[in-house]
Amino acid sequence: MMSTDEAVERGEPVLSVENLQTVFYTDKETIRAVDGVNFDIRRGETVGIVGESGSGKSVTARSIMGLIKSPGRVLEESSIRFEGEELTTKTERQYRNVRGSRIAMVFQDPLTSLNPVYTVGNQIKEALRLHQNKRGQEATETAVDLLEAVGIPDAARRLKEYPHQFSGGMRQRAVIAMALACDPELLICDEPTTALDVTIQAQILELLQELQDERDLSIMFITHDMGVIAEISDRVNVMYAGEIVESAPVVELFEQPKHPYTQGLLKSIPGNQSGGDRLETIEGDVPTPNEPPTFCRFEPRCPEAFDRCRTTHPERIPIETSTDEHSAACLLYPEDERRDERVRIHREQSENGPASGGEQT
Amino acid sequence: MAVTREDRTLGERVRANPRPALFWLAGVVVLFALEFGAFMNAIMSTLPWAAVGGALPGTSIWAGLAGVGDTLASLPTLLSRDLVPNQGYYVPGEGWEQTFLGLEPAVAWGLRVTLIYVYAFVFFGWLANGYFVFRRHYRYAAWTPYDDMLDHLRDHRWGQFGFVIVFGFVVMAVFAPALGPTTVAQNIADPYSHEIQYYDQEAQEVSTALVGDANRAATSKGSADRNVGPLSYDSYDRYHPFGTLPSGKDLFTFMMAGARVSLFIGLLYISLASGVAILLALLTAYYKGLLDLVVVVTGDSVQALPQLLVLILLSFVLSDTWLADIYNGGLLLALIFAVTGWPYLWRAVRGPALQISEEEWIDAAKSFGQTPWTTMQKHMLPYVVGYLLIYASLSLGGAIIGVAGLSFLGLGVNPPTPEWGRAVSAGQPYVATASWHISLLPGIMVVLIVTAFNALGDGIRDAIDPQSEGGSGSEVATAGGSGA
Amino acid sequence: MTRWRYFGRRLVLSIPILIFGTTATFWILRMGPIDPAAAIIGPDGDQQAYQRIRDQLGLDEPLWQQYIDFMTGLFTGNLGQSWVLNPGTDAGVMIAQYAPRTIWLGFWSVLIALFIGIPLGFYAGLNSNSWSDYVASFGGIVWRAMPNFWLAVILVSLLSQSQQLFGFNWQGWLVQTDIVTPPSLSNLQNPTNLLAAIKATLPAAVVLGSSSMGNEMRIGRTAVLETINSNYVEAAKAKGVPGRTLVWKHVFRNALVPLVPIITGEAFLLIGGSVLVETVFAINGLGYLFFQATINGDLPLVGSLMFIFILLVVGLNIVQDLLYTLIDPRVGYEGGGA
Repeated sequence: MMSTDEAVERGEPVLSVENLQTVFYTDKETIRAVDGVNFDIRRGETVGIVGESGSGKSVTARSIMGLIKSPGRVLEESSIRFEGEELTTKTERQYRNVRGSRIAMVFQDPLTSLNPVYTVGNQIKEALRLHQNKRGQEATETAVDLLEAVGIPDAARRLKEYPHQFSGGMRQRAVIAMALACDPELLICDEPTTALDVTIQAQILELLQELQDERDLSIMFITHDMGVIAEISDRVNVMYAGEIVESAPVVELFEQPKHPYTQGLLKSIPGNQSGGDRLETIEGDVPTPNEPPTFCRFEPRCPEAFDRCRTTHPERIPIETSTDEHSAACLLYPEDERRDERVRIHREQSENGPASGGEQT
Repeated sequence: MAVTREDRTLGERVRANPRPALFWLAGVVVLFALEFGAFMNAIMSTLPWAAVGGALPGTSIWAGLAGVGDTLASLPTLLSRDLVPNQGYYVPGEGWEQTFLGLEPAVAWGLRVTLIYVYAFVFFGWLANGYFVFRRHYRYAAWTPYDDMLDHLRDHRWGQFGFVIVFGFVVMAVFAPALGPTTVAQNIADPYSHEIQYYDQEAQEVSTALVGDANRAATSKGSADRNVGPLSYDSYDRYHPFGTLPSGKDLFTFMMAGARVSLFIGLLYISLASGVAILLALLTAYYKGLLDLVVVVTGDSVQALPQLLVLILLSFVLSDTWLADIYNGGLLLALIFAVTGWPYLWRAVRGPALQISEEEWIDAAKSFGQTPWTTMQKHMLPYVVGYLLIYASLSLGGAIIGVAGLSFLGLGVNPPTPEWGRAVSAGQPYVATASWHISLLPGIMVVLIVTAFNALGDGIRDAIDPQSEGGSGSEVATAGGSGA
Repeated sequence: MTRWRYFGRRLVLSIPILIFGTTATFWILRMGPIDPAAAIIGPDGDQQAYQRIRDQLGLDEPLWQQYIDFMTGLFTGNLGQSWVLNPGTDAGVMIAQYAPRTIWLGFWSVLIALFIGIPLGFYAGLNSNSWSDYVASFGGIVWRAMPNFWLAVILVSLLSQSQQLFGFNWQGWLVQTDIVTPPSLSNLQNPTNLLAAIKATLPAAVVLGSSSMGNEMRIGRTAVLETINSNYVEAAKAKGVPGRTLVWKHVFRNALVPLVPIITGEAFLLIGGSVLVETVFAINGLGYLFFQATINGDLPLVGSLMFIFILLVVGLNIVQDLLYTLIDPRVGYEGGGA
């Protein structure tokens, strides 16, 4: 086992998620919210996870944080490696040491993620006391620095105020400050700008990029807004019904989307419309998967679907491009093969695992 | 142009497909006619027509109407005491004589009670069915929010339990004369004017006795030989499902009649208080400003007076007036409850009313010149009514406890009108003896019914607003009641 | 507005309420059909004595004059005299005599309800939908529906029969006390006396606090459920806050907020409910005094007592607002809190 620093030096990813499966066992049904998800996050980069509601994005984030409660469970076959350590086998106590100090999370609604009866300062110092054992004057000074770092003016006075006394954008800044209090390596943001209006949204995104540059922070950014993804991510994973269906660097994803779902998403951005009377949409709803996948889950809504899509599960196939990091899970690829050959390649990969490990991105 | 379904009024729709409606209506008429006399009796004997008629001008008209009402009330009904009478006496060595179909009085009584309840549930079921007939055949909309509410109620066991018990209580009150083993007139009010037949053991023959004398022999006073407990016969072969009071009167009949009184007081109180509360809530939510401030101060002031103390004070102070004569103090109690209780209901519906008044469609209605009255009625009222039902049902439970408490002290409903609190008070010295039933049974009944009202309130709340986890208001409501 | 401005506003609003309440009392007493002088004299007093009493009570003065006298008298602390129960005794003296027992009773009722109701509620909320939750919740519901006086009657008889029923003698347990008796509040420094006083009041306090106990349990449970599922608790967990701190610091503090009106609302109930409980347990407290004064027609005493009670209620509401202001920083902001 090499040490964390060495691992990072060798270009190993900060976070490496492999075959993550999170299932909810309710009385009525079994919901496979995350069904075999693989991706990496490297130091200092922002990985975006984009998808409609119900695609499993938030559950993925919570699985990484260890926040999945019964009746949900992260299945044993899953692996979440953070800086070389396996998280899924940690006890609750061990996980607590990771949460907040090494991986931090920013939630969607800043008003409800702050406890209304305690001051903002109290809540920031809570994190400091837990992980860095800072108290009293030292803690206050650190907290003031943090608030200033996220761009809140008059920080010393603000510390003594309550969440409801902050405006929406400032609240989210305060939440980010709280998350960064213990200098984590990875920041998970679950739709942090969805509840804010557009101008504030831009400010928060800018703030995040600044912080990333300053601290060499890795960010996992979850959203359903393609425009936000375009602005902030380095690489993007597109999620659908619990699986990642396409993965690519951001520019390439927007310029050459390969999976029909991604293409549909890009087309339905109001600015991208090709003209005509009606807004282009993807008809239908995201399904709630109950069994392991034996077919393509996007098939009912896919304009390119053919009969094999119902019987063969598409696996991640690398796409030949300049960056060498683009992959899509669709029976249309690899492009240059005939249909039957493609289906065979997907089948084989289903059974035996990926053709070679290094190409998984 | 063809007339589509949407364009017809309700009347036209019914006429187009009359069969389901007529069938349902026929059922209602038949069921209602069977017990018409009983319903009329409930109305005639409950409401203080004499006082009302006397206070209004044109007494002769009212007297005439009253006469009509009385005649209607004495119409024979299907399930009267005469159909399944629980008479009879026991001759040792020969068994029961002069009974109905050879059944013991206890069984006959049980049969009659069962029949009445079956009828009541069938009638109610049939009425409820009318809604479904309407929905299936005549309603324009394919779906309304009420359908969702009904669905919620369908699964809500707790709410259903509450409803069943409350319904049973209402049936008790409406059909009281037919439910007891004897009648109030015979056993409680004028026992010395009625006679019964019994088998005199010493004389070895059937003879008659005044009910009053029979009562004297049937008292429950604690010791084993002076006690008639629940589900037993007294020495005159009369059946007592709940035993007797220390005065020898039948406790079950007493409690049935007491149910009537309690229900009457409760309903009257709720109607008055709700009316005031809704009106004020709508007005203050619509107009806000000064009106709101005035009502708030007034309401808070009234709420600042300790309700039970005011009840005690007022019922005593007004005890010699004509008001107190109606129902032996029942009407007075209802009025005092209403006067001291409206602020609570008003506060409860004020929240929803204010929320609705902030909605944009209210502004929209105002903007195109809708009159305030119509706005309140059409746009605000439907949302508020549901919440009112919740808190009204909770307050009803509180009122029942309050009335019982006052009667316990001797202040509420005076003799001879029966009331449960008085039974508890009468039985107080005997609680630890063989005559435990006198105090215990009324109390258990109160607990059961109040719990049922609470459950009903919970059910309604979950039906109209499934996401609310239950506000603090409901608890304060019952606290206000049961604290008395 | 700041929290303290909000509190100040509520404080100011209490004054018209106080005035209204006492005015209503006056109205009931003087405008009602009962003639106080006749009640005092009784059925066979002579005309002279009757007239004398009318003069002394000021009953022949114009009504507004009587009203002014009444109000000024009350607000300056002159509570008048008792005319029927203890003729000639200063009402203030009588109140001072009867009050301690009611205060003692009230104190223990609140305490018992608080320390049983709320922890039970919190426990049920933390372990929701478990067997113990169902039992506790159902018990709370039924307990809440019980009439005070009935419960008191039952308890009295159970305790007096405790030897036969449960095998131990309640009267003799720990300290010798009677069941239906006013507790002796003298010399509470002495631990035996203290214990006796507590024990004598305990059944009555349990009864008086019973409905509140049920409510607090139910609300506490709901409050805990709501806070446990809230976003900020999840966010705190994501920060790495350990479970115990999570529950004590984050959940309980927030769950207390909806409980505040209940706690003070309960004290409000005591004032009414004490009449019934004191009657059954033969505790000579203020409630009992009020009842006796009313049915004996001692209206001057009744008026003074009512004033005291209204004062208490208004005072309690102020305490409630104060508590709210302290506990919930959102108070006054967009209608949050009260």
